[in-house]
Amino acid sequence: MLFDLALYTSLALLALGLAYKLGRWLTTSIGPESRNYTPAQRLSASLKGLARALRGRSLGPMMAALVLDGLFQRRSLGHSRWAWAAHMLIFWGMMGLIFLHALGPVLIPSFTATLNPWLFLRNLFGVMLLAGAVMAMWRRLRLPGLRRTTHWADRAALGLLALLVLSGFALEGAKIVSVHSFDSMIAEYGDLPEDNDRAALGQVWRDHYGVAFPEGQVPAGLELMERGLELHNDSCVDCHDNPQWAFASWPLSRLMAPMAGWLEAAHTALWLYYLHFLAAFAALAILPFSKFLHIFTGPLLLMIRVAVPREEMDPAARALVRALELDVCTHCGACSVHCSVAEAVKHVPNLSVLPSEKLIALGRLVRGKTDYGEMLDVMRQGAYMCTSCLRCTRLCPVGINLQDLWFAMKDDLEEAGYGPTTRTVAKKALETAGPSRSVAPFKVSNGEFQKDLGLSVQADTFRNCYRCATCSNSCPVVFSYEDPKKELDLLPHQIMHTLGLGLADEAMGARMTWYCLTCYRCQEACPQGVKVADVLYELRNLAAARQEQGESC
Amino acid sequence: MKYALFLGCKIPYYVPHYEIATRRVLGDLGVELVDLEFPCCGYPMRHLYFRSYMLSAARGLALAESRELNITTPCKCCFGALKRAQKFLADNPELLREINAELAAEGLNYSGKVQVRHILQVMHDDVGMAELQSRVKRPYELLRAAILYGCHAVRPSEVTHFDDPSNLHLIDDLVKVTGATPVTWAGRLSCCGAPVRERNEDLALATIRRRLSEARDAKADILVIACAYSQMQAEWAYSLAGPPPQRELIEGPVLYPQLLGLCMGLTAKDVALDRNTPNGEYLISFLRRD
Repeated sequence: MLFDLALYTSLALLALGLAYKLGRWLTTSIGPESRNYTPAQRLSASLKGLARALRGRSLGPMMAALVLDGLFQRRSLGHSRWAWAAHMLIFWGMMGLIFLHALGPVLIPSFTATLNPWLFLRNLFGVMLLAGAVMAMWRRLRLPGLRRTTHWADRAALGLLALLVLSGFALEGAKIVSVHSFDSMIAEYGDLPEDNDRAALGQVWRDHYGVAFPEGQVPAGLELMERGLELHNDSCVDCHDNPQWAFASWPLSRLMAPMAGWLEAAHTALWLYYLHFLAAFAALAILPFSKFLHIFTGPLLLMIRVAVPREEMDPAARALVRALELDVCTHCGACSVHCSVAEAVKHVPNLSVLPSEKLIALGRLVRGKTDYGEMLDVMRQGAYMCTSCLRCTRLCPVGINLQDLWFAMKDDLEEAGYGPTTRTVAKKALETAGPSRSVAPFKVSNGEFQKDLGLSVQADTFRNCYRCATCSNSCPVVFSYEDPKKELDLLPHQIMHTLGLGLADEAMGARMTWYCLTCYRCQEACPQGVKVADVLYELRNLAAARQEQGESC
Repeated sequence: MKYALFLGCKIPYYVPHYEIATRRVLGDLGVELVDLEFPCCGYPMRHLYFRSYMLSAARGLALAESRELNITTPCKCCFGALKRAQKFLADNPELLREINAELAAEGLNYSGKVQVRHILQVMHDDVGMAELQSRVKRPYELLRAAILYGCHAVRPSEVTHFDDPSNLHLIDDLVKVTGATPVTWAGRLSCCGAPVRERNEDLALATIRRRLSEARDAKADILVIACAYSQMQAEWAYSLAGPPPQRELIEGPVLYPQLLGLCMGLTAKDVALDRNTPNGEYLISFLRRD
């Protein structure tokens, strides 16, 4: 009763959740141009694209992707063989268990859960799933690159899988030792005409099948064994193999045997049964809102990506696929482990530099949480730290085109007023510093400044400047403007001179500092060895650091 | 000749033809390339985040050291950033100590012994000009080439040691060996405009356009490039310039390994000339008629 109620409730929730997600894929927009397409346009463009792909001989590659990238997770091998092994164990273990629990009884007429191979296989698949989950958890706890992107949801998902398996094994173990289970089996299947028959069969099941009878119920000796085996052969053996085939639950049952009476009194098997199926149905119900959704969305995307290259995709269909991709991510962390700029996270403490975290932030952004305040700034920093090296896209085991998402995300950010970081830092520096455009307030600012410039060996070199202006005369930026003094605020030699006077703000607020091409002509040409271009680099660094600390500059 | 190939971040997506041509030509010349999973050279971070730049660059260098390999890179900005980082670390023992303490977490250490070389240096010095000469099967005729030397390879010369700073000749030698003629032109040592693109797009575009018009003024047929960023800049300018009759530009930018590979007898497809913007297959018409 409770079982059926829970099953149908979870199935209904699953269906509702999937319908809700489909709605999201049709309405969520990533990238400004995606907003131009209605749900109907997205759906029809996607279906047309699918039809075209199938007509255009894409079926073969799609099926190959389904088998190699889906069933055998070939793409995971690019990340790590261990990750691949862990996920293969989880995936095939889970598939096997789903088959044995849900499909076997329906599809196979002779299916009996207590007979081999099913009895053995159930344990095998359970152990595979558990081993995979333990491996995955170990990796997430031990590998620094994975640990930093591991969230509670990742641990909870692995925990739920482990709970499913462990409760199953415990349930099976408890039933092996349970006298109550023994009696109800007799009631259902047994034909025991004589008084002593229960004790006789009990001897067989105690000695060979592990039932833990309380003292006195079954005679300790073997005098009834012959009769017991006869009954066993008549009533049991056709439908029940030796539980030792349940190679995981059996040792567990041996541990339980000494406390079997207590376990029985506490209805342990019943509670474990509830725990087991409720955990399974809970997983089913939350599936659309958890990473488990990739069971459906992953294979779909893996086929779509080989059917139509992203750049050839109809923009309306692309809008749908982009939204879908948010729900394909399994948060496996492969992208972030291999990210080219992952090093930056150590000194720019912003996790949204890492692709897996950026994707989460993007999901929140496009779900209309525009009231993000500083979050947009954080996301901008992450987005523009990315060098578009394509590594995450090439690696993603479920085939998300992250590069396409990052470009769309930058467009969204730009539209919201959050363009490239360096441009923004420059803009702010130019607005808040640079007073030399009016009358220069001759204050020797920040005595600490020269110390700040001590990143390298530059701090001392601008003192050597004797204002020959060779740097400015060799500068292609200066050469690019008709009236450079007006359009650049200060010329390179003036910046060096300004720094000599300790006027850091003026230097940071000069457009020259921000329009520097870093071509190093100035530095190469300087007769005094002033590291002009390196100093300009450091000025930009200093402005960024000050802005991050909330100071004006 | 064995090197770790430091491809950099821009080539895989923006300039895949550079990777194809580099691997093919260096492979044919007997240079063995080892692929390590390098991080970013740090160059894009350097504008705002010096420490991130240093850590990322040092990690790449240390990764090559851990395999006892020297680095070669096709990108001038990767080259310059790695060389500059090496100089920073050599000049600042304290910085080196701190960076190494961070690298130690993954068992890496940067000692300074790894060499960073641009692929053109490898061709010029390791393979050698005599060998290159012997490899050229069908030299170019009447091909005038404007060479863009590349700021971050050439300067600061005390850091990069790319070529003789008072008499740059390395790329000229490499171009001459193909039969092409390097032209004297104004933009030879100038900037392509890439570094400022995020902060000032107008200046970035004006800068590369100036280079292209300088090359045209010198009656060059092609612009010879050996940098991911410069190629991206040139292709960007061409993509905005419209079809050939309207644009007052030269035939197009060519990556040096493409130029060399084609006259070594490779096909245009082998060196991915068809993937250039504009399509680089016009180069075939300059090969000597047999």
